[in-house]
Amino acid sequence: MLVSDIKSRPVYERLGVDASGRRHLVVSDAPRPLAEVIDGADSAAAPLGYWVVAATSAVDAQPQAEPATGNAVPLERRAFRAVPHLLDRLSHRLAQETVGFRLYAVGEEGFVWNVAKLAREAGLEAAECRTAHAGSLRRRVFCVHCKTITEDVTTSLAACDGCGAHLVVRDHFSRHLAAFMGVQADAEAPGELPPVEELFP
Amino acid sequence: MTALTVPLRVAATVPLSPTLRAFTLIPADGGLAPPSGPGAHLRLHLRSGGKLLRNAYSLTSNPEDRSHLSIIVRRVAASRGGSAFLHEEVAEGDVIEAGLPANLFPLVRTARKHLMVSGGIGLTPFLAYIAAFEAAGTPWELHHFCRPDERAVFEALLARLPASRVHIHCDMALGALEDALLRQPLGTHFYTCGPAALMEAGLALAQALGWPKVRLHSESFGGAAEGGAPFVAVLRRSGIEVAVGAETSLLAAMEAAGVDAPCLCRGGACGQCLIEVAEGEPEHRDHFLDEAERASNRLIMTCVSRSRTPRLVLEL
Repeated sequence: MLVSDIKSRPVYERLGVDASGRRHLVVSDAPRPLAEVIDGADSAAAPLGYWVVAATSAVDAQPQAEPATGNAVPLERRAFRAVPHLLDRLSHRLAQETVGFRLYAVGEEGFVWNVAKLAREAGLEAAECRTAHAGSLRRRVFCVHCKTITEDVTTSLAACDGCGAHLVVRDHFSRHLAAFMGVQADAEAPGELPPVEELFP
Repeated sequence: MTALTVPLRVAATVPLSPTLRAFTLIPADGGLAPPSGPGAHLRLHLRSGGKLLRNAYSLTSNPEDRSHLSIIVRRVAASRGGSAFLHEEVAEGDVIEAGLPANLFPLVRTARKHLMVSGGIGLTPFLAYIAAFEAAGTPWELHHFCRPDERAVFEALLARLPASRVHIHCDMALGALEDALLRQPLGTHFYTCGPAALMEAGLALAQALGWPKVRLHSESFGGAAEGGAPFVAVLRRSGIEVAVGAETSLLAAMEAAGVDAPCLCRGGACGQCLIEVAEGEPEHRDHFLDEAERASNRLIMTCVSRSRTPRLVLEL
């Protein structure tokens, strides 16, 4: 029922540093080796930042400059306590940035599309903000009935956090909301629900 | 379908310099001027010395103000006759037939800021842009390049605008432009209009400084339509042959021969003038056909494209 050819379902490719950029920032929702998430970082010709969510209070988000290796430019690393912490600092950074900047987001879909939304609101074009998926496939689900977003959905049916409706998680994805659409499963025959499957581990 | 025309009366004509002249045009039948948008041009039908010329001029007036349309015309030394005619023979009160305004150089409404680079008379579309930006409160910045002897003319045209946004340069050194390109906030779009060398240099500099193509926009004065090897267009259905000279476009040659050929934008953009090709190989100069359509050699946009073969047979 869920495998579909809905065209709004994002398709991801592996990230690569866009050589035409003048400054690069890679953001990740988990600590991952930089070389694992993007190609060309060690040969980038322009300054590159790598921001990660460390998910611990033991980090201070201060820039840690790494010495350049070979002909590469300096790399600046920052670690954040949580996703909102990183997004907050990203908003400030985008407000000060100039044309020539390139942003790359890697992580779960809810995270990368929240980053893409911030980027769009800051004036970045799609060509300047690239996304890639890593980690869990769990989905953010938007209830089309009550407009509540339910996080971390791994199953084909999920109870809406807002109205409690049993939602079918569709492949229909909204870049505007950074979420998949959820539609009441038993709207026509109340109480009749299809079996629940673990689809988005 | 031949594009609709509207008669316009010359309400005022004012010399700005020995080679620049401003015209204010109002509908000859009264009423509101036809609608236009920032970056639109007006194609005047000029009857001079037995020839009919259709010359396009960027509108400089505020599109929101429908009381009149304004243009500025440069008298070109190697004129085909249009600009000399406008400078020397058109007087206040004369009525000129004109096509409806068309826009091949629209601004990007979602941009946060607009950075404009113009050269000489290439300033004209930006006068309409700036009127729209000032009305909407959108940030903008203009870098205008001109000869030293014309500096005062352009300063006067821009005198009522905020001085902090207007930068006039009288040399081709692009250092000031590089500084500007390096400090634009995210969401800025870049537009350029003027001599090809200036536009190419500005676009190349922007790309070298990390500006993606989607932010870059240029106006070419429709130069693509002009000139090439002469050829003969055979209109198979009408049973006539039209000689297309080196200095005229296929569309203009067909119109001169009395053929009511379809057209709208006359700039290779809209696709309205598309005609099937039966024989011969078109030389595509439009922005409409995709690569497969071009390679098929089965279609041609008559307003800008020409022929690689001496004969081109059209289904018209």
